[in-house]
Amino acid sequence: MKHLLFFLIAFLAAGAIYWWATELAKPVDFNTQVKPILNKRCITCHGGVKRESDFSLLFRKDALTKANSGKVAIIPGDASHSELISRINNPDPEERMPYKKDPLTKEEIEILSKWIDQGAQWGDHWAYTKVEEQKLPPSNSWVKNDIDRFIFEKINENDLSPSPPASKEVLLRRLSLDLTGLPADPELSKPFLSDKTSVEGAVDSLLNSPHYGERWASVWLDLARYADTKGYERDDSRSIWRYRDWVINAFNRDMPYDSFLIEQLAGDLLPNPTDNQYIATAFHRNTMTNDEGGTDNEEFRTAATLDRVNTTWEALMGTTFACVQCHSHPYDPFRHEDYYKFLAFFNNTRDEDTYADYPLLRNLEREDATKLKEITQWVEENSSKEKAKEVYRFVKTGEPVINSLTADHFVNAELSDTKWLIFRNHGVARLPRVELTDKNYLIFRFTSYKPGGVWAIHLDRPDGKIISEVSLPDSKSKWVTNEIKISQSQGMHDLYFTYANPNLKKPDDSGMIFDWFYFTDYSFKSVADNGVGKKYWELVTKDFQTTPIMIENPPSMRRVTQVFQRGNWLVKGDTVQPDVPASLSAFPKNAPYNRLGMAQWMVSKDNPLVARTIVNRVWEQLFGIGLVETLEDMGTQGIPPTHPELLDHLAHQLMNEYQWSLKKLIREIVLSATYQQDSKITPQSLENDPTNKYYARASRVRLSAEQVRDQTLAVSGLLSRKMFGPSVMPYQPGGIWLSPWNGATWVRSKGEDQHRRAIYTYWKRTAPYPSMMTFDGSAREVCTARRIRTNTPLQALVTLNDSVYVEAAYQLASLMKKSSSKLDDQIRFGYRKAIGHEPSLEVVSALMTLQNRTSSKVEIRKVKNTEDEGKNSGEDQPLMLVASAILNLDEFVTKN
Amino acid sequence: MNSEYLQQITRRHFLKEAGLGLGTLALGSLWGCSSGGNKNYFNAANPLQTKAPQFPGKAKSIIYLHMAGAPSQLELFDYKPALQQLDGQDCPPSLLEGKKFAFIRGVPKMLGPQAKFKQHGHSGAWISDNLPHLSTVADEITFLKAVQTDQFNHAPAQLLMHTGGPRLGRPSMGAWVTYGLGSENNNLPGFVVLTSGGKNPDAGKSVWGSGFLPSVYQGVQCRSEGDPVLFINDPQGITRDDRKASIEAINEINQQHYKEVGDPEILSRIAQYEMAYRMQIAVPDVMNINNEPKYIHEMYGTNPGKESFANNVLLARKLVEKGVRFVQLFDWGWDSHGTESNLAIDIGLINKCRQTDKAVTALLLDLKQRGLLEETLVIWGGEFGRTPMAENREGKKNPFLGRDHHTEAFTIWMAGGGIKKGFSYGETDEIGYSAINGKTNVFDIQATILNQLGFNHEQFTYEFQGRPFRLTDVHGKVINEIIA
Repeated sequence: MKHLLFFLIAFLAAGAIYWWATELAKPVDFNTQVKPILNKRCITCHGGVKRESDFSLLFRKDALTKANSGKVAIIPGDASHSELISRINNPDPEERMPYKKDPLTKEEIEILSKWIDQGAQWGDHWAYTKVEEQKLPPSNSWVKNDIDRFIFEKINENDLSPSPPASKEVLLRRLSLDLTGLPADPELSKPFLSDKTSVEGAVDSLLNSPHYGERWASVWLDLARYADTKGYERDDSRSIWRYRDWVINAFNRDMPYDSFLIEQLAGDLLPNPTDNQYIATAFHRNTMTNDEGGTDNEEFRTAATLDRVNTTWEALMGTTFACVQCHSHPYDPFRHEDYYKFLAFFNNTRDEDTYADYPLLRNLEREDATKLKEITQWVEENSSKEKAKEVYRFVKTGEPVINSLTADHFVNAELSDTKWLIFRNHGVARLPRVELTDKNYLIFRFTSYKPGGVWAIHLDRPDGKIISEVSLPDSKSKWVTNEIKISQSQGMHDLYFTYANPNLKKPDDSGMIFDWFYFTDYSFKSVADNGVGKKYWELVTKDFQTTPIMIENPPSMRRVTQVFQRGNWLVKGDTVQPDVPASLSAFPKNAPYNRLGMAQWMVSKDNPLVARTIVNRVWEQLFGIGLVETLEDMGTQGIPPTHPELLDHLAHQLMNEYQWSLKKLIREIVLSATYQQDSKITPQSLENDPTNKYYARASRVRLSAEQVRDQTLAVSGLLSRKMFGPSVMPYQPGGIWLSPWNGATWVRSKGEDQHRRAIYTYWKRTAPYPSMMTFDGSAREVCTARRIRTNTPLQALVTLNDSVYVEAAYQLASLMKKSSSKLDDQIRFGYRKAIGHEPSLEVVSALMTLQNRTSSKVEIRKVKNTEDEGKNSGEDQPLMLVASAILNLDEFVTKN
Repeated sequence: MNSEYLQQITRRHFLKEAGLGLGTLALGSLWGCSSGGNKNYFNAANPLQTKAPQFPGKAKSIIYLHMAGAPSQLELFDYKPALQQLDGQDCPPSLLEGKKFAFIRGVPKMLGPQAKFKQHGHSGAWISDNLPHLSTVADEITFLKAVQTDQFNHAPAQLLMHTGGPRLGRPSMGAWVTYGLGSENNNLPGFVVLTSGGKNPDAGKSVWGSGFLPSVYQGVQCRSEGDPVLFINDPQGITRDDRKASIEAINEINQQHYKEVGDPEILSRIAQYEMAYRMQIAVPDVMNINNEPKYIHEMYGTNPGKESFANNVLLARKLVEKGVRFVQLFDWGWDSHGTESNLAIDIGLINKCRQTDKAVTALLLDLKQRGLLEETLVIWGGEFGRTPMAENREGKKNPFLGRDHHTEAFTIWMAGGGIKKGFSYGETDEIGYSAINGKTNVFDIQATILNQLGFNHEQFTYEFQGRPFRLTDVHGKVINEIIA
């Protein structure tokens, strides 16, 4: 008995020792075990924001060096001598860490000790490691393509089973809304529902529809913060719709995603950029411009530049970089200066918060384009290729000019409304640091109110050598572009402008305003007398339709980039050079250190973030929730991916197999068995997977603001399928636009422009289109990486009462009336048209009851507020309430 | 209540009782945030469900009267006889060195107070004769006379005041409060905005936007012309019975559909349609001031049927009476630069005072007589103050008397909601240029407002972009000195 007991004890002890030994040997995982403890317990004081006692746990290098105490917190392989371990164990409350907070649990201390004993290795967060090819899980009979293998594995692990496939009607509506944002046309639905077209055939036909580009561009425009106004107080109009059209076209042409990004980030830096490549760069000209009087233009130029950095990271790399603006990232491996190195890529563009939104691409059409061709050819033949390029750039973009708002040192001069240099009599102002080497001519834009003004340009001092003196004509308050000769000087100089005008009687009267200055060594007035010069001046002075674009500063105008201490743009720290964060992939060899190189770094296959981010976004659009729910943050504070291997598999496919084709990616996803499941929720599946993160059913998702509008217009027959062009103003209630200092008004568009797709609706930042905002649209002031869907009574009020929806109900009702003479058939017709399948008996009966309860009383003679159409007047439409009810059903506003 | 549960509600699939009125859950203890996890607390199926604050607050609702454009403290509350002595003299260089102004250039002249001041009430508050009505209720009010901001342009300063950041993208105070407390009235929005003066505030609708909070928390603009809330009125020819029949049919079919597909979101939609139907009665009813007694109209100086500040003030009282948490008023036209007569400190400003003084005073008296002042915090102020110097735009004398934007000291007042009565806090130097003691800033005001509602501004957060955000960012201190 004793022996037995002894053996038993020995056996247990041996077992315990064995268990202990194997436990010790098991490697501790940094990401899943250690990092959560550090993030929760330590990093608030010892991280990227605060570095108490000069000790930080963010980077291994920092954590292994001596802290202020003179001791080393972490000695790899030796937990017992590591100060960190002794401090978390210390019973003295003054010494014990975390200071004045709850002590770590025994388990937490054990994990940290083991981790240090095992060498204290820092692991890389999944999203910051290169995308690798994934091993495919096994297949089975349910599986249609590789996606399903990954999904099935998780379904199985969680004791769920896939749902049966959705009905053909439901699947077609889902596909059509997902791919084109509109319900399917009869040309597609008839052959599909009668099995004459396969699912693949239907998908290809939808992907080839021009409406595909419109639907997916809507998603992109939220990221690009595209709007038709400049934002801030004055919120004036901005003509940038050509960018919207560029995005639609790019999606329709299936432009590879890598080129899509390169052109938007750096199209202007490509060799001989085309108009389209310039227009693509309007992506980052969608930042706001502040026209409020008295605002500091440099402050808002800086704000726009910061926004470009933040948007690039959040929208294109799923990383919240904005916090690094003020301090090192509290949790992720980005240092404070990384932000400013990245900002340096963006800090040398020509835009300066000017009122006109310079630089602008001028849209030369037909004969004007031909003229420009003739001019540049002539310059190329008579001067040089370089010169021809300069001339081309100046005519097309008006750059590089010096904006008058950079002037300073004013006497009897000022910046008018902080926008333009304005002169009174005997005025002086300085234009700092102008490169004059080889410059003989000055082209400038000005307006004047009085004749007799004399403008002189002095070198270096207000009374310095005069390099030009001209008398300026009275332009009668119109903007005029002119050219003068200047005597040649070498190097960089401050220029002092003086202005005198004897016709200005009162000291407070202003005589003239300057807009910009272009110093050049080339004058058509001096070299050409064969009509070319005349054409050149015609083009230079003509008004063209324009689009704001990016243009890089010439060397003489380059800005230095400095770190902003604690994010304050007025407190400048060390100077930095453009670079990408060292903790991510390396900068591509031979790539230039400018925006183009930066874009190439982003789309290189080594970049861990770009492909994952777009795959996650496409997935979210199709399933309602991303594989990483936090689209805006794949970092350590984001929600971890539900299917990391699937995310990487698709990202790898996108970059390799699909050659960055988004159509191929979308096609693969919608052809999976996963996507094509039924969306019914059983009490059990709700219990086991309330959020549907294992995809054992299709997700039901409320349609987007754009889809709600477009679908309603489409099923009622009102939708205009016209594409492109300036934004339109459909019906909007009065009193929405009341911007201060801005006389702009909402002028309803005429004819079919009333019923265009939502993407063409004029988007005013400070007063966006109300019904779309109610359905969680974004004001587009800054990048919106993810719309959060809500469900509110105000949405019901829109679809019940907004005149757009009332008119649609009216139209649907008249189609219903024409379809049959029997009420139940009319109802079936309307329901089928709206939702794409036959209604149940209960639905028909409920709608018939509605009709019987109301028909005697309803007399919608005119649709409220749509006074100009005329087509509705006079005709009673007793089915209108039934049609409106159909357009308000959950099934109608939801993708099933 | 484990974190999985919390995640579920944030992931929008709450329990099955969505919309079926399970009532308030006691969740006070769930506030607060540590790093990691998704700690946002709202019920997506019923995001306006009433919630308890972090601790019992003194105030239940807020009425924030924002005078957009920034009223001059030097003509209203901050009496500076010494400035009168300096009137017309050049501004000393010490006040200009290293400073930046929106419009002042070169050396401006000092401008003495353009109003007569007297002391009022037991508290002896200095109030100018521009505000004869408000003077009679001086003993209800706490004046903060040394408020500071760091934005000297309207749009950024208004954004800072209402969202805690000078740039766009952050939620407004009203949105935060609605996120935190929900709505007490099932038939009305929790956060209502009323504007007057013919213009929206400079920063546009973003000053009542929801920023990164769900859009349901944004302010709902109630209007005196057109629909009182957008799309609240049924189309012409549709009766109340018709609407009832149509919503019943919609909900019946949705209920059927729920039985088929089992998605709890459908139940939520049914509840939203019911609420929309109730709102269609409740909103026009509360927005109709015609039925108020004559003495109330006289007291406020209201003019039913027209857009006016006085109407909006009366509406604000009616709304808080009905349980609306946050009523935000913007009145446009206080930007007294002196560039035209209605922007002159001695003409336009006086007119603005005449348009508003009676109504503001009536609000305090009316709330008091209804026993609501103790639980309603009323705040009055602009986005910054105005300079003791006369504005000289582009270095020239302006055609009328005016003052430029001033960030270093201005006056805001508060009344009710657990704030001291007849009190003044903070002081400026003898010409009203700099705050010299009792300095407070925009974030302190925000922290104090949240405190009165029962929120610790440092722990009242929303998880976004990987970190907890708060209204006061990393700033703000509750102004304990003014709390009763």
